[in-house]
Amino acid sequence: MARIELADIQKKFGLVWGVRDVNIDIADEEFIVFLGPSGCGKTTTMRMIAGLEEPTEGEIRMDGEVMNDIDARDRDVAMVFQGYALYPNMTIYENIRFPLRMRGVPRAEQDALVRQAAGLVELTDYLDRKPQALSGGQRQRAALARAIVRQPQVFLMDEPLSNLDAKLRQAMRVQIKHIQRQLRITTVYVTHDQIEAMTLADRIVIMQSGAVQQIGTPDQIYNDPANTFVAGFIGAPPMNLIAGRLADGTFTAPGLRVTGLPERRGGKVTLGIRPEDCHVTVGADHLQGIVFGVEPTGETTYLTVKAGEKLVEVKADRDFRADLDTPVAVGFDTTRLYLFDTASGDRLR
Amino acid sequence: MASMRKKSRGDNLVLRYAILGAWALVCLLPVLWFLSIGLRPRTEIITPQPIYWPTFSLDAWHMIWSDWPMARYLRNSVLAIIGSVLIDLVLAIPAAYSLSRYTYRGRDDIGFYILSTRMMAPAIVAIPIFFLFRNAGLLDTIWALMLIYAAINLSFVTWIIRSYMLDIPKELEDAARTDGASDLRILWEIIIPAILPGIITASVIAMIFAINEFLFTLLIASTSQAYTMSVALANFTGGSDGVIYNAIALVAFLAFVPVFIVVVAIQKHLSRGLTMGAVKG
Repeated sequence: MARIELADIQKKFGLVWGVRDVNIDIADEEFIVFLGPSGCGKTTTMRMIAGLEEPTEGEIRMDGEVMNDIDARDRDVAMVFQGYALYPNMTIYENIRFPLRMRGVPRAEQDALVRQAAGLVELTDYLDRKPQALSGGQRQRAALARAIVRQPQVFLMDEPLSNLDAKLRQAMRVQIKHIQRQLRITTVYVTHDQIEAMTLADRIVIMQSGAVQQIGTPDQIYNDPANTFVAGFIGAPPMNLIAGRLADGTFTAPGLRVTGLPERRGGKVTLGIRPEDCHVTVGADHLQGIVFGVEPTGETTYLTVKAGEKLVEVKADRDFRADLDTPVAVGFDTTRLYLFDTASGDRLR
Repeated sequence: MASMRKKSRGDNLVLRYAILGAWALVCLLPVLWFLSIGLRPRTEIITPQPIYWPTFSLDAWHMIWSDWPMARYLRNSVLAIIGSVLIDLVLAIPAAYSLSRYTYRGRDDIGFYILSTRMMAPAIVAIPIFFLFRNAGLLDTIWALMLIYAAINLSFVTWIIRSYMLDIPKELEDAARTDGASDLRILWEIIIPAILPGIITASVIAMIFAINEFLFTLLIASTSQAYTMSVALANFTGGSDGVIYNAIALVAFLAFVPVFIVVVAIQKHLSRGLTMGAVKG
């Protein structure tokens, strides 16, 4: 229920840049995910939206109103923390009620709101327990309920699922998305897990070293990466990035030759190809190498091919098996090749 | 197999209790010893021959209550100590919060200065403090004792509480802030409950120091108006009756009992507090 604009946001910690030149316009009801490795500035950006950090420069606006000088407690945002941050001395009921109490919601309404929020995350039976008596997943849901309970303008979630095991994480992901759609609250979500980003986001903001690398829908990020960082960060296993040379429309690297490429420029170029756009062929093809490893996962088999010194990941048929060090040829789907400038990492379009 | 294991565990338990019981007895022996002195007639205490079956006597008990205003001494002690601990907490909690949470120039130095007040020999400041209190008209009052005990203990009470506050995740405060709580609310509703074991630990240690305080009490309290238990003990050494050992022992025991009761009552918090501070402080 709020549009958030970040305009030329800079954050410096002493002499170190935390966040540089961040410009993002988050639409009302949008689910936006900040994705990046640790230390990339995503959490700092979120904390600035929350009002827990002040930007060194730039403006944060919510529904057009400048928020920079407004204290965290006066911004209508609710935050879910990585470590849940449940108040240990209070029961789950009191935890969920805390924001209502702080914001002066009439006592008579508090109980119904607490129970409603607890119901949404299926915690009704645990209301009189202390946080220590709950499992990780339950604590997570309690933290979520505490954020939901006062129906804020904005949800901020800082790696809320990173302390859960894989199975629970998947279940909670679905819950979070469902609740967000149900309540239609603008949500900013920070994670380093690209699966979470891909599955949850309306749009993903990829950050590295304090700077935004690309903003786009999950499809755009996946199919149209702006640079080698984005290309290599998204996808599991990630995109193969092979450094080589481009001349006369032909890309060459040890064991690798791709012809018929658009001849926009030559020189040192990095070729990107996703494992699923590679296929094992009989006879010579784009890539000649030897089998370095075979990993059957059941639904598919990942084949690692060694060409020169480079290891290339290939998604092969589920039945594919091969001995180590046997020669293998791999063909690429040439419509899904990406070329990047090796020096800058930028995409060549 | 299972029953064997159970049995061996049972034996183990008996052994454990035996060892702990023996150790407790060793620790309590001095206390029991002076209690036994306190409950014997004077003549029996100063004989050179050991007495294996002592005579029970309440002579000293009657004496300390009828010949001396022991009830007032006890009251003075209790009031001065409780007052001083309250003063310490009121001052130390905000100070510790500031030292542990805000960043400002010289913060660590200030923390060290506070601690360093504990490092000098008390005798150095004894005379100035005497004049200070005399000029303020506070000599021979419980208020003066409260202030002096509070001053003596403030540094380490602050320091203990600070170390507990450092252990509280910052996230907790951030959460409370986004939930709409003010700084004071956060301190009162989030921080203080979370560090309660630390507050209790610091308070108990402060109480123990205060109840044993002798030098400044003697300096400030010149009449029974402000005498405390620890100074009252000195009453029994110099008079025409010589050293009245059984009275000393009994008063010492009476001074020991309140602290002992408090420690036993809050034992759970205290042991948690002491170890927590030790590991993470």
